[in-house]
Amino acid sequence: MATANTEEEKSKSEQQKNHGGGGGFTRWAVLAVIFRLTLIYFPGNLNLSSRPEVSTPLTSIRRLAEGYWLKQSSMSPYAGSMYHGSPLLLSVLGPLTVKRIEGQPSHILCSLVFVLADLISAILLRATGRKLQMAYRKSLKSLNLLNKSTDSGGLSSGDIAALVYLWNPFTIVACVGLSTSPVENLFNILTLYGAATGIAPLAAFGWVMATHLSLYPAILIIPVILVLGYGPDAPPSKLFRSKENGKVGDDKSSQEIIFSWGRVLHLLVWTSVWSVYVLVLCSISVKQHSSLQEMFQRTYGFILTVEDLSPNIGVLWYFFAEVFDFFRDFFLIVFHSNILFMILPLAIRLKHRPCFLAFVYIAISSMLKSYPSVGDPALYLGLLGLFLDELADMQFCFFLFCGYVGVSVLSPVMHNLWIWRGTGNANFYYATAMAYACFQIVLVVESVSSMLNHDRKLMKLSASKLQK
Amino acid sequence: MAKVEKKEVAAATPPWKPKPRPIVRLGIVLISHSLLVSVVCCTAGIVALFLLPMLAKNTYISENALMPGSASSMLSNHDISEAERLAKDLTSLNSGAADAGIERRRVLAKYLSDLGVEVGYHKFQSHQNQFHPLHFFSSPDSGLSQENGSCSSYGINVVGIIRAPQADGKEAIVLVTPFNFRKNSSSEALSISIGYAVFSLLSRVSWLAKDIIWLVADSQYGEYASVASWLRDYHIPVFSASSSHNADSCFEGNNINLLREESPGRTEISSGFRRAGTMAAALVLKVTDVKGQLEDTLSVYAEASNGQMPNLDLINVVNYLAVHRQGLRVKVEKFLSVLTWEWIWMLGDTLNFIGKVAGSLNPEWKFGISTPDYVEGTATLASSLYRQALGIPTGPHGAFRDFQVDAITLEISPKVVYTNQGRRNEFILRSARLIEGVVRSVNNLLEKFHQSFFLYLLTSPAKFVSVGVYMIGFALLVAPLPLVAASLYVDANKPEPSSQDPKQKLQINFKPWKWLSAAKQVFTVHAWGVFVSLLPYFISQIPNSTPAAHSIIWFSLSTFGLLVLYLITKSPSKPQKGKWENLKSVTISAVFIGLLLMSVVNFATAQIGALVLVPACLLAQPLKLDIRTASLKSFLRIATNVFISFVAFPPAGFFILKGVNEGFGNMDVGEFWTWLESLWAWNSATYIYIGMVHLPCWVLCLQILLHSC
Repeated sequence: MATANTEEEKSKSEQQKNHGGGGGFTRWAVLAVIFRLTLIYFPGNLNLSSRPEVSTPLTSIRRLAEGYWLKQSSMSPYAGSMYHGSPLLLSVLGPLTVKRIEGQPSHILCSLVFVLADLISAILLRATGRKLQMAYRKSLKSLNLLNKSTDSGGLSSGDIAALVYLWNPFTIVACVGLSTSPVENLFNILTLYGAATGIAPLAAFGWVMATHLSLYPAILIIPVILVLGYGPDAPPSKLFRSKENGKVGDDKSSQEIIFSWGRVLHLLVWTSVWSVYVLVLCSISVKQHSSLQEMFQRTYGFILTVEDLSPNIGVLWYFFAEVFDFFRDFFLIVFHSNILFMILPLAIRLKHRPCFLAFVYIAISSMLKSYPSVGDPALYLGLLGLFLDELADMQFCFFLFCGYVGVSVLSPVMHNLWIWRGTGNANFYYATAMAYACFQIVLVVESVSSMLNHDRKLMKLSASKLQK
Repeated sequence: MAKVEKKEVAAATPPWKPKPRPIVRLGIVLISHSLLVSVVCCTAGIVALFLLPMLAKNTYISENALMPGSASSMLSNHDISEAERLAKDLTSLNSGAADAGIERRRVLAKYLSDLGVEVGYHKFQSHQNQFHPLHFFSSPDSGLSQENGSCSSYGINVVGIIRAPQADGKEAIVLVTPFNFRKNSSSEALSISIGYAVFSLLSRVSWLAKDIIWLVADSQYGEYASVASWLRDYHIPVFSASSSHNADSCFEGNNINLLREESPGRTEISSGFRRAGTMAAALVLKVTDVKGQLEDTLSVYAEASNGQMPNLDLINVVNYLAVHRQGLRVKVEKFLSVLTWEWIWMLGDTLNFIGKVAGSLNPEWKFGISTPDYVEGTATLASSLYRQALGIPTGPHGAFRDFQVDAITLEISPKVVYTNQGRRNEFILRSARLIEGVVRSVNNLLEKFHQSFFLYLLTSPAKFVSVGVYMIGFALLVAPLPLVAASLYVDANKPEPSSQDPKQKLQINFKPWKWLSAAKQVFTVHAWGVFVSLLPYFISQIPNSTPAAHSIIWFSLSTFGLLVLYLITKSPSKPQKGKWENLKSVTISAVFIGLLLMSVVNFATAQIGALVLVPACLLAQPLKLDIRTASLKSFLRIATNVFISFVAFPPAGFFILKGVNEGFGNMDVGEFWTWLESLWAWNSATYIYIGMVHLPCWVLCLQILLHSC
């Protein structure tokens, strides 16, 4: 009786906890939205939309408004190297940039769209996190490694990831500073959500849109295929195999991990459908004053050839401002293939954890991007929250935290010193960009190595259990 | 450093890690001896600060194109007699008359247009300085207030522009003479004489490659305001007619028509705003009466807002010409009270002795400095540091720096008030030749000033300490911070001895990062710091109250805010091991970031702040622990901690400094408010530093001291 009572109490308290956790999440999410709205209405001269950290040539709302104006006056929106985004974004956000509501700050409608995008992203992140955690629990259970004491804790990792995404200063700045990166991030997260929940059409749609908007998410096709093929993140498959060898008679653990080609084919079909659909929409949108070819040149071409060398938080602008013209093509190839070189090894090593692989890809591409903005770290730091359980032993977290804080305050000051005061020079600002790149590298390396350590630990653990 | 520290943890726990690399081992050694390292580094940092006057280098002209003093002066007595005629005409006007100001402007404009230069009036409204917390990070124009001021406070500057005969008008040199058109002042008339003498010469010469602008700034609302508003209008054209009409409408009914009605000289007096090219340099010329001087002196003021300095070459040129050509004594500001300090003299003697000994050992070592030189240098350096740290410009030249124009104020004071016309003419001749020489040098420039230093401290008019030297001392001072933070972090997050057995270690459970709660605490206190620094903006809106009342309201509201925060965030959890170490570690990291940031923004503030904050942070340890041990060492630590935390409290520190300098007799609570108000009115980053770095750190140190462990 007594045990039953305590069990009951436990489950009750757990329920309460879960309920409390949900309530906490809702409360904080609503607070985050209110915080954004107050910042948008804030009458001060925050001036965020002209900061180089926030608005790159690809994400600036002012360029979008300019492109829309060009389109309205019967010219190609890509004329004059002003706008480099998608024509679809132009059709959706363009009308909102010109609409003014009396007594409200300009671009209020766009801001609301971005706030909404952030909120949806957070909700999708939370759902993805739930899915991943369930999968994690299931695989632990099948390995008999789950101990009851571990599931006590305020918020689940999905909730934490969503809150980290919502309350990350980078996300807030990108959202309030009217860059289009919240929309791009939304499609990235949508891809992962679709893949994690096994909805191939949704994943395909997210991937096609994300690739269409900013090109770099194209490499996410590999993690998406892996998720759909193998299922969400799990410990290495050989763990299950060794377990099977150890205990043959166990029914539960006799699940064979098979690559399901059917779902992948499903995904590929849907991908081609959505791509054709998006291309048709684009061609309708641009056919009057320009062509699809011009669109590709001015969007993907602009990203790949690094034409705009205005300072940003990345490392490419300075390099290509300095490099001799006849080496330019060579270094363009070198820099871009940097991302491509890392795809295959990482995919092989982390194929059992495709969602984590997606995080690593996104972090790497945001490091080597041609026009990075604060929206990119916002995305991968949010995704990092999804793997809190696995990365609990990560080293350098305090160091990285201090580094990110330091760089994000030092960078605007260096920019001010260079541009407005004239006492510093470009090297000062670029130094912070390099420091930022270093911190990103440390983050990626450490998270990958601690994930691998986690797998090793699981291996040891199950081995010791087997010996018993 | 923190990176290294983590490596150590890694090396300690997992058995499969290989031996760390040499650099990592070096880091581990440094961290494990952090006490020794921090004592050595801090001492070295403070010693390096006192060595700075000894390490100062002689200035030299870095930009070859300047060629100061290579041409002989062309200024003649004719120019001076013309200038004196103007000065007489200006002073002879009855100052009691209501339109004397208008009349003086008209006289001045007539003289200028007689020279054949373009003349214009610039109308402006003097704006109250306002608090823009975000001003620092934005462009100079974004903080511009557009509210309608009353018509009562307007001024009119007179501007003359010489177009360079052989240039394209893309560049200009600016001369500024502040002049109060409403008042008769002999020294201001003298400065007008000097300015006019130079200007009339420059209107005739053929070698001008840059346009010359002479701004006679209406100084009735302060010298800075008039220059700043002229510069703003110069650089930021108003496209919408509304705001310019706003100022004009005030003049319509009044007396602007008087200014416009006739064109007395050779050229038209324009009513529109006249511009020349981008400014290469600007000189502000003032004449002051200082009693009891032995010779004619020239004081140079260079500090602009937030401790920004003009290019050192500009000061070099002025110094070179004044000393070697015109025989003026050049001064920069110094703290006279430092000269009376006994221990500085003793320190100087010691350094002198060490230098001599070193010189006798090896004649190559020449770092000796004579004692009086050392003390003078220290006094100047202290003043230079203080002025830069305040972040308030020391004259109208500060307005130019906001537009990246190098500018200095030259304050010339004659030995006596000249009554003899011949002596007076000679004084004018020397001063005007100095200005002419400087203008001629700057005229030679092909690009902006860029060769020489922007970041330096002056120890005398001809000696400076460059950024590469003074940064070493600062770096030594703050270097212990990351080391100690890392070592504390390692201590606090050591794996528990119980978890060493393999069963415990091999458990999958999420242990929350311990430092997160400390980080939360630090963040809350910093958020409180933001709140405290924004409060004065609202408090100053309260009408009819004294500074004392303001400061009391401010103090009580801040304390109340801190209490509320404390009650909200106070967690009921029991004190766990390593909690205060974590708190201290995060605090030190925050202070390190803050000081690093401030050293980029305004070095002097960071240096002075580091002298207080670094010992305060490093020594902080819960008093309970010290009381428990009750040894002599812990007693000493308690005493120093209490003393430092008292001194580090900003108002206490302010009043102590004030008391030391001026005596503890008349203290007023409102003075602190007035002082801070002057800081935020000038958008000084020091204000933000005090509110967002220093004060939170002080609170956190107190929290560590009172920690219940």
